[in-house]
Amino acid sequence: MATTKKISLSEEELVSKLKNRDTIAIQALYDMYSGALLGVISRIIEQTEVAEDLLQETFIKIWNSADSYDSTKGRLFTWMMNIARNLSIDKVRSKDFKNSSKNQDIENNVDFIDAQKEVTFNADILGIKDMVTALKPEFNDVLNMVYFKGYTHVETAEELNLPLGTVKTRIRMAIMELRKHFN
Amino acid sequence: MEEVKAYIESGILELYVLGQLNAQEQKEVEAMASKHPEVKQEIEAIEIAMEQYALQNAIKPSEGLGDKIFEKIGLSDNLEKAEPIVAKAVNEVKPTKEAVIIPLNTAPYESKIKTLRIALVACIALLVVSVIALYNAHNQLGSAKDQIAELNLNNEKFTSTVNFMKQSNADLQKIIDMANDPDWKTVKLAGTAMDPKAKMTVYWHAKGKHVMVDNSKMDLPVNDQQHQYQLWAIVNGKPVDLGVFDVKADSTHILVNMKETGSAAAFAVTLEKRGGSVNPTMNQMVVIGNVSI
Repeated sequence: MATTKKISLSEEELVSKLKNRDTIAIQALYDMYSGALLGVISRIIEQTEVAEDLLQETFIKIWNSADSYDSTKGRLFTWMMNIARNLSIDKVRSKDFKNSSKNQDIENNVDFIDAQKEVTFNADILGIKDMVTALKPEFNDVLNMVYFKGYTHVETAEELNLPLGTVKTRIRMAIMELRKHFN
Repeated sequence: MEEVKAYIESGILELYVLGQLNAQEQKEVEAMASKHPEVKQEIEAIEIAMEQYALQNAIKPSEGLGDKIFEKIGLSDNLEKAEPIVAKAVNEVKPTKEAVIIPLNTAPYESKIKTLRIALVACIALLVVSVIALYNAHNQLGSAKDQIAELNLNNEKFTSTVNFMKQSNADLQKIIDMANDPDWKTVKLAGTAMDPKAKMTVYWHAKGKHVMVDNSKMDLPVNDQQHQYQLWAIVNGKPVDLGVFDVKADSTHILVNMKETGSAAAFAVTLEKRGGSVNPTMNQMVVIGNVSI
């Protein structure tokens, strides 16, 4: 459909077209953000097939619940990202996924331990490794868990045996570091 | 201002952007954002950072995944958009057909089934009524046939009765005519010693040589199966065979034609074996009568 010519629209146009159920909006969103959203999903679920299924679900949900998006409450991408993350976390926590990927759970744990030791990097995010690893390890851990692994900040605090306030601060610090890079 | 700064630094805005807050906490953040532009600005900065971060960590999906998604969305979209198309379309026939094809089809289909069901029930009812009617008709036809057969029988009886009466009438008429005709001679035969009560009448037309026996005026004992009465004419003192006849309780004819003879002095009847004899058995003569001139 829109694979030959990439569509790019301003956020305002995107939102209004999406709410008017103009299919061009979903094509533009796909061209602009499918990669970013798949990146978010793939942090939580590593199996490419499952991740792509979730990406598909994400876009369908974006399309079907466009009316519930309120631009005064945040950016469109934040809304989409949270849809993608929530679907992925739901999937990870679902019984059938847990059953079907018991072996992967071990791998995930290994990855997680490796990530804590700052030695493992996803080849797909090679460009970002410098930036993330540039973060102090303690900041990196919390962001990893909350943003990459789908933990809630409360679960992260329990997991890392830290006070909730410390977790919050570390998340803020990690994001502050990112902001330095991008803003 | 200090309060706002502390709020920002608490890290709640990051959790807000990361979707980590519950509904009530979210409302609080949104309220703060609408009250304090700095909070709103901070949120946006965090969002942009996360967005950039995500874009930097993008993973290209497989070829064709987009088409798959658009197909799914396009399919559901077309269905939802079908109604406005109908309203706007100049040529209303095609979209109406497309949009409403499923509901339109199923409803008549169901009603068609209902109609067919009713028709089926009606057919069965009709069949039952028809069978009953046919059975009745068959019975009536049977009784009608019986009646016709009975009527035919009656008719035959009447016909035979009429024929009998006609015959009788003709014979009686003939007897009257014979009585008035001088050429006919009535010969009365009287009983012999063998049976004195016996008697009978013979009509004879000498010119025409006709001989007849009158059953109505016959009074002879009924003959059995082995025997028959034989009529003889006595011509020149010799008996001449004039044929045989039976005496029965229900004879159809009054007059019975016998063999012809041109001359006779007397007539006599003997009881002979069935079929008659060449010569009369004289001791079996029952009646005899002379021709009166």
